[in-house]
Parts: sequence; structure tokens; C-alpha cells
Amino acid sequence: MSGTSSGTARGMVPAKLDLTVRIGDLVMQNPVGVASGTFGYGEEYEDLVDIDCLGALYTKAVTPEPRPGNPAPRLADTPAGMLNSIGLANPGLDAFIADKLPRLRARRCAVIVNVAGGTEDDYLRVLDALEAQDGIVGYEINISCPNVAHGGLSFGTDPVQVERLTRRLVDAVGSRAMAGAEARCDRLAGRGRRPLIVKLSPNVTDIAAIAKAAEAGGAVALSCINTLVGMVIDIKTKRPVLAMGSGGLSGPAIRPVGVAMVYKASHAVSIPVIGLGGISDADDALQYLLAGAVAIQVGTAIFSRPEAPLEILAGIREFMEREGIEQVADIRKLLR
Amino acid sequence: MKRFDTTVTSIRPVAEGCFELRFDWPDDAGVPAPGRFFTIKAGGRYDPVLRRPFAFSGYAPPVAGERDGEAAFIFQVRGRGTEFLAALKPGDPLDVLGPLGRGFGKPPRGTRPMLVAGGIGMGPMLYLAAALGADAKAGLCEAPMLVIGVRSAGFIPDVELPAGTVICTDDGSSGFHGTVTEWLAGFDPGLPPVFYACGPAPMMAAVDRLAEVRSAPFEAALEQWMACGVGACAGCAVALKSGRYIKTCVDGPVYDGRLVDWGAAL
Repeated sequence: MSGTSSGTARGMVPAKLDLTVRIGDLVMQNPVGVASGTFGYGEEYEDLVDIDCLGALYTKAVTPEPRPGNPAPRLADTPAGMLNSIGLANPGLDAFIADKLPRLRARRCAVIVNVAGGTEDDYLRVLDALEAQDGIVGYEINISCPNVAHGGLSFGTDPVQVERLTRRLVDAVGSRAMAGAEARCDRLAGRGRRPLIVKLSPNVTDIAAIAKAAEAGGAVALSCINTLVGMVIDIKTKRPVLAMGSGGLSGPAIRPVGVAMVYKASHAVSIPVIGLGGISDADDALQYLLAGAVAIQVGTAIFSRPEAPLEILAGIREFMEREGIEQVADIRKLLR
Repeated sequence: MKRFDTTVTSIRPVAEGCFELRFDWPDDAGVPAPGRFFTIKAGGRYDPVLRRPFAFSGYAPPVAGERDGEAAFIFQVRGRGTEFLAALKPGDPLDVLGPLGRGFGKPPRGTRPMLVAGGIGMGPMLYLAAALGADAKAGLCEAPMLVIGVRSAGFIPDVELPAGTVICTDDGSSGFHGTVTEWLAGFDPGLPPVFYACGPAPMMAAVDRLAEVRSAPFEAALEQWMACGVGACAGCAVALKSGRYIKTCVDGPVYDGRLVDWGAAL
């Protein structure tokens, strides 16, 4: 898989590949993560994926109270994609800490908890409680879920709200001693702050304005993009297929949208951008890294092929060998 | 549970627009019990994205030195996923993830297993009928009774059906003229019944009412669109009468039919 590539058009094979990604005080072992909502809490995929080899695991969204989720059907098939309207179904903060976090702590990959809520106080409640727990290396703030009536997307489309929410949440995350799983991921060791990663919605007129607002509020990084709002109508029943009417579009169909938005956002801010949206293979991931992302997340492709994230990681290594690149962070410099 | 690349061993039409597909089932993937399911990547690299879930309609264990295990399922051509499957030929590769979910429980002694199949829901019921038929021969349970409801004679599957199988057709073109539940309403199973069913929501709702009237257990095999198949995404939710949701892929697909909100599924 690595280190044995033959000579290439671009010249020397690098002696050692450095795939590590730095996001604030956090160091990930490689740039490939699994996207929130597509990988549960990891345990569901234990039989199918070597989770410890991933760069990062972004958990399913955690809200203060348990959420049953939206009425069924919650899924629809679309050309080269799918719609979902799950509605942030999750067991709630207390059950997450009691039932899910113990197994997550034992993971060797970076565990980043996706945090969602209906009000600013909801997000704060989750952060406050998780700050008292170890084994988490960062937070991804979901300000962009299209499937929740209040909050979610409504936070994510207004720069003033994005900056204010981000600032309040950043203030809630303190400097802490790293231990256990955190120290394993954070090779800098010692003390650090868990980075706050703000996940942006593509359902906006100008993603650069939202990206700048999150940066101004103190976000350490951005995830870009969440799903696009979409609808499928059954022409026999004359009804939308999803019980909620519309949902979030994901899959290969949205990849060009995501690449364009990562390009725009990463050139508008100086904080790192994590790219996602329709990444199915290493070529897709490399498009995001060339566009300016420092890391990527694989989501819907896991449903098609659970091996996809680690195959993508292997493909990124091969590309670096072929191109003679030592640092994964240097891939973006290749864009012409 | 395992994701593996295997090979189509046979495919043949069994009814109007319906096919039975058989494929090699590797030993190390686990035994596919009746009611459990698997998913197939039915298409190219990018499209369709969602794997298609199917219940096993049969399974033949491997015979050492002679042949591999073989699993079977029955599908109806409904969209681009099943169109892809219908075009497969013996020897073609197949991308399978399974076995997944929870299967059927065993009927208590002294009860009559009543197996009710509606339309393409017959796949898992055929497998269950074969398994319980073998159990009955071994004296482990009472003989099961299989009742199949289809639109018309053309939809009766060209497969080996257990002796005594009752066929119901909506148009009366074969067997009993009426629905499976109309037939069941006039039938005395002789023993306290246990209902097992898979089919469209109106049929399942009717079996639920029947089970309630007869105070009988009802094991329902659920059908729902799925994304992950392993309990991670919560996409395949089905509503219970309590207002709670279950995940078809890990809480089911076989679940207590008395608890399911069939009205919400209609």
C-alpha cells in the first residue's frame, strides 16, 4: 500500500509520507474521517471497518434530550444520491455519555462529537457536559441540518447568528490536560483546547460570508458541506416520498457543489477547512484536497461500500507517492 | 456480518415481473436464518447509491468437497436497482453485505404456525415454511400452513410450494377468490395460531387485527428503504403504536407485529 511505488513522471518517491493533519491543538493520524450521521457511534461498523485506522470519527449528532427523529419514510433514492430526513434521531446527551462514549474512548482515531440543538442553550448544554468527559478530541457544531424545524439550518444561514453562536460556544471550551485517547491523537500532548469545528450548510447564497462569520466567532476549523435541500415526488401517489416532504441530498451527485464551496470557503478564511460531500473514492477526495481542504469526510459512500474510507486513504497515499509529495497538507499547493 | 464479492449461480423468472436469484454464500459469512436479510450493491460505482435489501427465500448449506453454500431471494422489478439485478447472468459478480437483522422465532409447542405472504413478501415466508416444515418432520413443532395472496394467477410463484399451501387471488383467477385475511377469517387452525407474515401494509394491518381477535402472537417481517443496514443511520425507521420508532435493520426486520403502527405505514 505504501512506500513501494515505482518511479513516476514527477520524480522521486518521498522517503516518508506524512499524512497527519493539524486542526488547532488536535493532530489526526490521517486526513480521512467518517461523516456524522453515516457511521453512528462506530460500534455499528466494527465488523466491517478497522476504525482505529481512520483519521477521525465524527459521531451522530448529540442533542441535550433524546430525539425520536422524523416520521417514516426517511429515505429516498435519487440519481447518484439519496435524500434523508432522519431528524437528528439520537438517544440524547445522558445516554450518549453513559452508553456510547465508553467504547468511543477506546478508539485510536480522533473522536469528534457532532453537537446539535434547537436553541443556543441546547448547544451549550451539550458542550458543558462533554467538557467534563475525556476521550473526545473535538466538537463539530451542526448549524446546518436541513431536517429540523427550529434551529439547525436557521442558525447556519445568517452570518450574524453564526458568529454569535460560535463565540458563545468557543468561550465554553476550555484548555485542558490531554489524557487517554485524547493524548494518543494529540501528539503535541500536554494541554490543549478541543477544537470547535463549525459545519456549514450549502443552502446559502454566499458560503464565504458564513465561513468568515464562523472564523470571526473563533471557530478553529470548518466542515464543508452539509446536505443540500431536495425533494422527490412520487407521481403515482402525487405525494413527496419523504414523510417530511423535503430532506437532505447527499452522495456523488453533490460532489461538484461541495468542491466549489470548499474552494470558495477555504480561500475566504485562514482556518482549516474539512471537505465533504459526495466523496466516493480517492479521486473525489483529492479534488477536495486540491480545492483547499486539509482533511475530508466520507459519508454516504459508506452505505454503498463500508470499505470506502480506508480505500480512499490508500488512494491518497498512492497519489502522494506518485506526485512526490511528503506532506498531505501540501496537496492543495498543486492546484493550478 | 460481512461484505463480500460473490457470484450469481442462477437467475430465472418465477412470476410476472418477478425473479429468483441464487448466489454463492461463503461459509465464513454466517448462516442466513429465515427472516434475516442482506443488501446488494445493484449498479455501478456511483449509482444507485443505496444498497437494496432482500430477505432470504432459501439457503442450501455447503456440502464438504462437493459444493459451496447457496442463498436465494425473490425480487420484483420495480426500479433501477431491480432492473440491474434482472439483467444479471450466472457467473456475474455480486456485491453482498449480510447476513443482517433479526429473524423469525420458533413457534411454541402446541401452536399452529400460520404463514401469511402477500405479493413479493413471499420470499421470507417460503424460507420459513421450508424451515418449519423440516422442524415439524423432526417433531419440533406443529406443521406450518402457508397462505399466499397475489393479484392474479400470473403472480403465483413457480417454485416448490409446501403441500397444502393455500393460494388466494384478488381476481379469483386461481385458488380462493379474495384476500389472504378473508380466507383466514373462515379457517379453523385446530390449535392456537401463531401468525408470521410479510406483505403490503394493508395486509399486515389485517393480520394484526386477526391476531388481536385470536389473542395470537404475530411476527411481522418489515419492509423499509434502508441506507446502512447496520443500525448506524436510523433511515429505516418504522413507527410503533406507542409513538416510538424502531430501526428495521437491527430491531427487525422481524418484529412484534402487534406493536407496529400499520396505519402509519399505509
